[in-house]
Amino acid sequence: MSAASTTPAWVEKVQNQSRLSFGLAVTDMAARDDKVVAVSADTLDLIGLREMVAAAPDRVIEAGIAEQNAMGVASGMATTGMRPYLCGYAPFITARSMEQLRNDVAYAKQRVVIGAACSGIVLGVSGGTHHALEDIALMRSLPNMTVLVPADAHEAWHLTQATENLDGPSYIRLGGKMDEPPVTAVDASPVIGKATTLRRGTDIAVIACGVLVVEALAAADELAGEGIGVRVINMHTIKPLDRDTVLAAAAETRGIVTAEEHHLTGGLGGAVAELVAEEHPTRMRFVGMPDEFAIVGPTPKVRERYGMSAANIMAKCRELMS
Amino acid sequence: MARAKKSNREATLDNLRNEALKIRRNVWRALRAAGSGHMGGSLSAAEFLAALYFHHLKIRPDEPDWPDRDRFILSKGHANAALGAVLAQAGFIEDAVLDQFYAYESLFGMHPDIKMAGVEMSTGGLGHGLSIGLGMALGARLQKKKFRTIVMIGDGELQEGSNWEAAMAAAHQKASNLTAILDYNKVQQSGHVSDMLALEPMASKWSAFGWAVREVDGHDMDQVVGALDALPYEKDKPSMIIAHTVKGKGVSFSEDTHLWHNNMVPDDVYEKALAELGEPV
Repeated sequence: MSAASTTPAWVEKVQNQSRLSFGLAVTDMAARDDKVVAVSADTLDLIGLREMVAAAPDRVIEAGIAEQNAMGVASGMATTGMRPYLCGYAPFITARSMEQLRNDVAYAKQRVVIGAACSGIVLGVSGGTHHALEDIALMRSLPNMTVLVPADAHEAWHLTQATENLDGPSYIRLGGKMDEPPVTAVDASPVIGKATTLRRGTDIAVIACGVLVVEALAAADELAGEGIGVRVINMHTIKPLDRDTVLAAAAETRGIVTAEEHHLTGGLGGAVAELVAEEHPTRMRFVGMPDEFAIVGPTPKVRERYGMSAANIMAKCRELMS
Repeated sequence: MARAKKSNREATLDNLRNEALKIRRNVWRALRAAGSGHMGGSLSAAEFLAALYFHHLKIRPDEPDWPDRDRFILSKGHANAALGAVLAQAGFIEDAVLDQFYAYESLFGMHPDIKMAGVEMSTGGLGHGLSIGLGMALGARLQKKKFRTIVMIGDGELQEGSNWEAAMAAAHQKASNLTAILDYNKVQQSGHVSDMLALEPMASKWSAFGWAVREVDGHDMDQVVGALDALPYEKDKPSMIIAHTVKGKGVSFSEDTHLWHNNMVPDDVYEKALAELGEPV
């Protein structure tokens, strides 16, 4: 049997885009569980729900461009035993409907899974109104909430499937209509709350999430040539944070660099710093969006301008080596 | 035969009027225990709450999570004293809980808490209940269950735009298993609704949003029961009952004034209120 023939059908369909992984994974789950229902805020194509519309039209609720209502509807359905997957744009499904998210979903502890497409500065040319650079901070400040940031489309598929076992609310941060280079295996089985270590160096630890994982790997490979051993940790679960992996990195390396496509305020870097400050103080450097609104521009160039790049991760690693 | 039927109905209405009176007395009791509270919007809702819990809703107080129960959401969560009162009277919670209003670690706080028996959703942030109720109605439809969902909303609450998202969505979904009751007491925290941010024309607005609308005197138990018995009003449409009510109903000094939206309740105020309300049967 060739390798190709064992590749699951979803791999090609998701086209290396985590947003499609979410919708197609929901569609897949809906086929075996009649409680699974999708709620969309005008994101049927964006999130990959057309197949589910065809296969189970009653279980795709198109709520229109009305995130507050969509959030409340998802919560209400969850109280009846349905398993709602709410799809929206990251900037809108968090900030616009934040009170519904806090009260109806997190406070009332309803099992709603939120798939948030076009996070970070995926919508670079759309400008600051469409960037989502505070969503991790908002989500992880809510009690009961699980916060997931897949590194690629493969991981997005598996983490979406893994939400089947959660009994509280969760947030999955997704990309947009652009290629996300694979960094995890098709058959990887990520466990919510357990980071994966992709490089095992002991000089510096880079803890990255989302699209910055591939940058961290590039940095690690480059620094290996300079004799610097970088540990690369893919922190796909921001909350609950994998304490053991972070504290081991603090104990076994000379310092930690965090890397994320998110404001430096309150994101992954903040979560790691909060932990090590109390449990194992260590030197840290932070890669992410500074405390300003981003300029308009193509996503790769905007990311680079603000230092969300392999080059900047390397610079921060070298600082910690000195 | 017709005579006997009429007297049965009269007996039902008298019983519900008595439960409404008990709700009002229990509201003042809970507020005195807390020291203060939202009397105005609690007292305006008494007739509908009595009719819902003692006549209309299919519920099992000894099995609050019965999967096929009708759902009731108090979206105007600041009227929680009245919800607690009716839940105690119906047997969902112990009567003594009413004396724990606002108490340390109590499940009976200013706003409804889903952790308390009989409470379907934590509310209090305004403009949330109708969307949640629509979700419950859709959950019923998808699971082919017969239960109905009723959401009580306030008038001031309708100034929150999220209600109108829910109104559009419920009509679009043809959610005829969803009912909203508007406790239209015309007064909000800072004054009369018409002076703060006017909502009229109310009935035609809801009709235009695709709802089947009825207007009743929310303190006339005959009309209240009639409105509930006739649900749903139209095939493929959600139903809206506009209940014209009086804020602070039943006690002369608390009626129709924002000053008694949320106020202190020392013993003398409590005694005066209960004296005006009179004794239940």
